[in-house]
Amino acid sequence: MEHLMQLEFLFAGFAVFWAGIFVYLLLLQGQLRALQREVDRLEERLAEAETAAAPRPTPRP
Amino acid sequence: MNSISGALRTVYGWWWLVLPPVSGVAVMAMIIGALVVAPREIVEGEVQRLLYIHFPSILAAYGAFAVVAVASVVVLWRRDMRWDAVARGAATVGVLFTGLTLATGALWGKPVWGTYWTWDARLTSTLVLFLIYAAYLLARAMADELDEAAARFAAVFAILGALDIPLVMFSVTWWRTLHPQPIVLRPGGNPAMPPEMLLVLLIAFLGIGALAVWLTVLRSEAEWLAKRTAALRAVADRYEGA
Repeated sequence: MEHLMQLEFLFAGFAVFWAGIFVYLLLLQGQLRALQREVDRLEERLAEAETAAAPRPTPRP
Repeated sequence: MNSISGALRTVYGWWWLVLPPVSGVAVMAMIIGALVVAPREIVEGEVQRLLYIHFPSILAAYGAFAVVAVASVVVLWRRDMRWDAVARGAATVGVLFTGLTLATGALWGKPVWGTYWTWDARLTSTLVLFLIYAAYLLARAMADELDEAAARFAAVFAILGALDIPLVMFSVTWWRTLHPQPIVLRPGGNPAMPPEMLLVLLIAFLGIGALAVWLTVLRSEAEWLAKRTAALRAVADRYEGA
């Protein structure tokens, strides 16, 4: 009975350890995704700014 | 200077090739070694196998906090925000492994001591270490990415926080604690454990150590990218506002 209880705590310890590492990696992935979105937004803003700053073609007479 | 920078880049490139497979293989070997190969401890029984993740985790945390302290010194000395990203990345890994040490220690303590937690010097000083760097990360998260003054204040806090590490390490020799005395890193003595257990423990050090270094590199890189993105956003805001 005590042996079984010890195995339960051993399993719980290993499970908590790997769950912690897994959650950390998920959070890191979330941070990287947010950065990717931010870079995409900055690229869009840059493209819009370049379009607005480009000289308009003069109409032919 | 360019040659040093080039050498650092080469080492950094090698890390990406070496660390993931080394940590993966060593961690698999550690799991098999801890659960199958290592002999059962006579007094504590099966639950003693938690040693193979508990002890390497706190050493990984000490290493990560040492990196935070060194990077923080460089932040104050060179005022280079790249090192602030390294300090933040290492602090998250240190907090992670300190938390895992406290959790696995509690699960080990219940069947052996009869309680998950006791306010003994080793456990309390480890909890204080966890809270110090959790507060550091909270303060850094609340400040602006590009705020150099906040980075310098945080660096001072991180350096002072590292003073808790020797307190944690020597707490079991300075005070009477429920936590056992050191059995591996004993002052002036050989490890007090059979060679099979010691071998598995060494593999666990390698696996969890490599995992901690890899996570630190990943997180530091992410923090540096976040700073560069924030700087670009600030430039774009100024450009559009002009």
